[in-house]
Amino acid sequence: MPSFSMDNMVSILPEMIVLSLALAVLMFDLALPKDEKRYLAYFSVAGLAIAGYQTMNLAGLQLDTFYGMFVLDGYAIFFKVLFYIAAAIAILISIGYVKGQEMDKGEYYALILFATAGMMVMASGADLISIYLGLELMALSVYILAGFMRGSMKSNEAALKYFLLGAFSSGILLYGIAIIYGVTGTTNLAGIAAFIQSGQYSGPALTLAMILLVAGFGFKVAAVPFHMWVPDVYEGAPTSVTAFMSVGPKAAGFAAFLRVFTTALPGIQPDWTVIIASLAIMSMLIGNVVAISQTNIKRMLAYSSIAHAGYAMVGFVSGGMQGVSSVMMYLFIYMFMNLGAFGMVVMLRKDGVAGEELKDFAGLAKKNRTAALLMMVFMFSLAGIPPTAGFMGKFYVFMAAIDAGFTWLAIIGVMMSAVSAYFYLRVIMYMYMKEPEGEFELAAPLSLKLAMAVAVLGVLYIGMAPAGLIDFARISIAGMM
Amino acid sequence: MVPLNWYIALSAAVFCIGVAGVLSRRNIIIIFLSIELILNSVNILLVAYSHFLNSMRGQVFVFFIMAVAAAEAAIGLAIIIALYRNKETVLTDEINLMKW
Amino acid sequence: MGIRQGILLALVFVPVLAAIPVLLVPSGRAARLIALIITAFELALSLVPFAVFMQPRPDGWLVRLDLSWIPAFGINFSLGLDGISLLMAALTAFLFMLSVLVSWDAIRDKSPMFHFMLLVMETCVMGVFLSTDLFLFYLFWEVMLVPMFFLIGVWGHGRKVYSAVKFFVYTFTGSLFMLLAIIGLYVIHGSQAGEYTFALEALKSTHVEPATGLWLFAAFFIGFAVKVPVFPIHSWLPDAHTDAPTAGSVILAGLLLKTGAYGLIRFGFPLFPEASAAYIPVILAVGIIGVYYAAWIAYAQEDMKRLVAYSSISHLGFVVLGIAAWNEVSLAGSVLQMVNHGITTGALFIMVGMLDERMHTRDISAFGGLWSKAPGLSAFFLLFIVSSLGLPGLNNFAGELLILVGLFKEYPYLAAAAFAGVVFTLIYLLRLAQKVLFGPPATDAEFHDLSPREAAILVPLAILVVVIGLYPRILIGPIEGPIKALVSPVAAVKTAGATPQAATAPAQTAAADRGGTP
Repeated sequence: MPSFSMDNMVSILPEMIVLSLALAVLMFDLALPKDEKRYLAYFSVAGLAIAGYQTMNLAGLQLDTFYGMFVLDGYAIFFKVLFYIAAAIAILISIGYVKGQEMDKGEYYALILFATAGMMVMASGADLISIYLGLELMALSVYILAGFMRGSMKSNEAALKYFLLGAFSSGILLYGIAIIYGVTGTTNLAGIAAFIQSGQYSGPALTLAMILLVAGFGFKVAAVPFHMWVPDVYEGAPTSVTAFMSVGPKAAGFAAFLRVFTTALPGIQPDWTVIIASLAIMSMLIGNVVAISQTNIKRMLAYSSIAHAGYAMVGFVSGGMQGVSSVMMYLFIYMFMNLGAFGMVVMLRKDGVAGEELKDFAGLAKKNRTAALLMMVFMFSLAGIPPTAGFMGKFYVFMAAIDAGFTWLAIIGVMMSAVSAYFYLRVIMYMYMKEPEGEFELAAPLSLKLAMAVAVLGVLYIGMAPAGLIDFARISIAGMM
Repeated sequence: MVPLNWYIALSAAVFCIGVAGVLSRRNIIIIFLSIELILNSVNILLVAYSHFLNSMRGQVFVFFIMAVAAAEAAIGLAIIIALYRNKETVLTDEINLMKW
Repeated sequence: MGIRQGILLALVFVPVLAAIPVLLVPSGRAARLIALIITAFELALSLVPFAVFMQPRPDGWLVRLDLSWIPAFGINFSLGLDGISLLMAALTAFLFMLSVLVSWDAIRDKSPMFHFMLLVMETCVMGVFLSTDLFLFYLFWEVMLVPMFFLIGVWGHGRKVYSAVKFFVYTFTGSLFMLLAIIGLYVIHGSQAGEYTFALEALKSTHVEPATGLWLFAAFFIGFAVKVPVFPIHSWLPDAHTDAPTAGSVILAGLLLKTGAYGLIRFGFPLFPEASAAYIPVILAVGIIGVYYAAWIAYAQEDMKRLVAYSSISHLGFVVLGIAAWNEVSLAGSVLQMVNHGITTGALFIMVGMLDERMHTRDISAFGGLWSKAPGLSAFFLLFIVSSLGLPGLNNFAGELLILVGLFKEYPYLAAAAFAGVVFTLIYLLRLAQKVLFGPPATDAEFHDLSPREAAILVPLAILVVVIGLYPRILIGPIEGPIKALVSPVAAVKTAGATPQAATAPAQTAAADRGGTP
C-alpha cells in the first residue's frame, strides 16, 4: 500500500476546490442582500471553471492515494469535467428560475456544489466505502434540492419520494457491499478483483451481492425496474433541479457502476452481463413506450431519461475499451442535450405559469423562432438524428455492442430509437405545426441564454466533429483497461 | 462464542423486516424507521464480519454509515415536516398529487 | 485539393451555407431570390463536369475527394463523382431550381424558413448521391428526412402533420436497420482486415459469411426499399405526396425515391454480390407486384396528386426490376428511367399544383374540357402524360425499353409480364388525360392559361422530355463506364452459382442505341 504523501493532496485538489467553493458560497450568502443572490451563481460558475482548469492540469496523472481508497486517473478526470460542465450549466439555468419560484436562496447553489463534490468522489472512489460516501453526499444534497420549493406540494412530494426510495436503495446497496466484504475480506476494488481471481470462493453469495449492487446503482441511474421514482420526482422537483439531477447523479451513478463492475467484478462478468443486459432491454422498452403516452413534458423527459439509461447500459454490457468509452461519450453527450431540453422547459412560461405541458409548446415557432429552433435541435439529438451529438452517441454505443457480439441488443436499441422518434417529433410538431394558444412569456435572462448557447454548441459540435471527444474518452480509460 | 452464521441470520432477518416494512407500510415515519432497520442490519453484518475476519475495515465502515444515517435522518425528517406543513398527513396514500 | 474537388465540395455545401443567410433575411422576397440564385448556381456547377472533365481516372471515378473526418472510427469525408452520380446530381440541381420557381407564389407563409429547408434538403440529396463513405452516406440519408418532414408538415395541406410523421417514422425505421447493417459490415471488415473503415471500396472486398450476408443485405434492402418505395412498405408515399406542397412532391418523387434506387445500385448490390443474388427472386416479385398493384390503385384515384403518386410506385417498380436483372442493359435502363421519372413525374406534380392553384381542388371530376379553355397548359399536360405512359420518341420509352430488353435476357416471362404492366399504365393515364383535358367542361369557372413564370418552368422540362426521348445517348454515354464496372463483379457471382440462367452480358451499346431510335 502506498504511504501517505503529497500525492494525496494533489489527487483530491479538485474536490477540495469544489468543497471550499461550496463553503464560500454559504459564507457569502450571509453577506449578500436578499435579492442579490445571483452573484453567488456567477461566483460558483467561476469557481467551477477554476476547478476545471486545475483538473485538466492533472490530466495524465495516475495517482492511487489514501491507501487505495481514492484514485485520480483519466477516467475520474473525464467524469469530473462532465460534472463541472453539468453543474455550471445547471446553475446558469437556475438563476432566473429560482427567482421566479421564490427559492432564491444561497444554499441552492451551495447544495449543487456539494452534490457535485459527491459525484466527484464517486468517480474517483476506488473503494466501496469512498464510493458510498460520495454517493450519499450527492444523494443527500439532491434530496434537499428536489424539495427546495418549500411551499409547493408537488415539490415536497417529489422530495419525499426521492428520499424514501433513494434511502431504501442505498440500504440495499450497502447490504450488497457488506456481503462482498464478508466474502472477500476487503472493500477495496482491486482487492476484491484479486480475491475473485484467486478462485478461493465460488458460491452464490457473490452473485447475490452483485445483484444487490445492481439494484442499488440501478436506482441511481434510473434503470427499469428501479425507475418508479423517476417520473414523479422529475415532474415534481423544480425544473432547474430536475435538469441537474437528470444528468449529474445519473452520470455519477454510471461512473461508479462502471468502475465497480469493470475493476472489482470482472471475475463474474458473465453473470452481471446477463442481468445488466436485461435491465438495458427493459429500460429501453418501458422508457420509450411509456414516454409516448405522456402529456407533461417533464414526465416525458423522465421516461426518456430511463430509456437513455438503457442505451448507455447497452454500451456497458458490451464492455472492453469500446464499450466503456462509448458509455462515457454517451453520458457526456446526454448531458448537453438533456440540460438543453430542460433549459427550454425552464424558459417557457405560458400565461404566467410554468409551461410544463406538451400543449404549452404549441405554436412556439410562431412566437419565438430561436427558442423553437433550439428545442428542435435538442429533440432531434435526443432522438438520435444526425448531425446532432445524440446520433454520434447512439452510433458509438451500438457499434460497441455489435463489435462485442451483442447484435440483438443493438437491434432492440435501434427499434426503440425508432419508437422514440415519435414522441420527440411530437414536441417539434407542436411547436411548428400547431397554432399558438394564449400568451407566451419567455423568461430568458442572459444567463439562461448563455447556458442554452453552450448546450446547443456542444450538441452540434460533437455531432459534427466528435473525434476530439472520442479520443478524450479513449485516452481516459487507457490506464484502467 | 456465537458463530458467524447466527449474526448473518440475524442481519438477514432484520434486513427482511426492513424491506417488508418499506414495501407494505403506509405511514412515512414507519417506512423511514424500516429504512433505518435496513441500515442497522448492514451494520450488524459488517461488525460481525469485521470481527471474524480480523479486519478493522468493517468497523470503520459502520461509523461512516452511522454518520450518514444521522444526516439522512435529519434531512428525511425535515422533508417530512415540510410536507406536513403543507398537507398535514404522513400517510403515503394521501400524498398522491402525482401517480406513484 | 484541385478545382475539381472544389466543385464537388461546392455542390454539396454551397446550399447549406447559403441556407443560413436565407433563414436570417426578414422578407420572403429576398429569401426566394437568394434561393433561386443558389439553386441556379448549383445547376450550372453540376453541368460543368459534363463539359470539362468526362475522362475517368484509372479507378473509374471522374473526381474523388477524400478528407479525414473521424479517424477514431475510420470515417472519412469521401465524395466521388462518376457518370451515375453526375446524372443524379444534375437532376437534383435541376429539380431544386424548379422547386424554388414553383413555390414562387405558392409559398407565402414563413417563406425564409421554407427556402432554408429546401436548401438544406439540396445539400443532403447531393450528399447522398456523391458520398462514397458509408457513414457519410448514412448521415446525409438520415438528415434528409428532417427538412422533408418540415416541408410536408408545415407547408403541406390536408392531413399534413399525420403524413409528415408517417413519412418520418417509416423512413427513419427503415434506415435504422440499414445503420445496423452498415455497422455490422464495418465490424466484420475490421476484424478481417484489421483496419476499421467505412470506405465503400474497402468494404466491397469484405468476405461475409453467406448467412450473415443474407441478414445484412436484407437490412440494407429494407432501408432502401422504404424510400423507393417497394410494394408492401409503400403506404407512406401516397399520403406524403398528396399532402406535401408542390415543391415537396417534386422533390419527393423526383429525388427522394431515386435515393433508394441509387442506394441499391451503388451500395446494396455491389457490397453483397452473393446475398443480393439470393434475394433476386424476392426483389423481382416485389417489383412486378409494385408495377401492377400501384397501377391498379392509381386507376381508382379521384385525387390527381394521389394518382400521380401511385403512378410513381408503379414506375419505380420498373426501376427495381431493372436493378434486379442486373445486366448492363437493364441497369442502364434503370438509371435512365430514374432520371426520366424525375423529370416526367416532377412535371406532372408541378402541373397538378398549377391546376390546384387555379381551381383549389385536385379532384379529377372537377375538371374537364381544359383543352378549349387553356390550350397551352393542356398541351404541356398531355405531353407529360404521354411521356409518362411511355410513348415512343419521348423520354420514358427509352428507359422502359432498356429495362424490358435487359429483363428479357434474364427472365423472358417476367419481361412479358412487365410489358403487360405498361398497358396498365396506359389505362389510368389515358383516363386522367381524357377526363381532365377533354370531354365537357365541369364548370364555367374562369381559367387562366399559363403565366410566363409557369411557362418558364415547363418549357425546359418539355425540352428534356423530347431531347432525351429522341437522343438518349446523351444520358447513356456518361453511365456506360460506371455501369460496366458495377455489373461485372456481381454478374461473376451470379454465373458462378446462385442463378444459373444468368449470363454475363456483353457490352450493350448497340441496345442502348436501339432504345434511342424507335
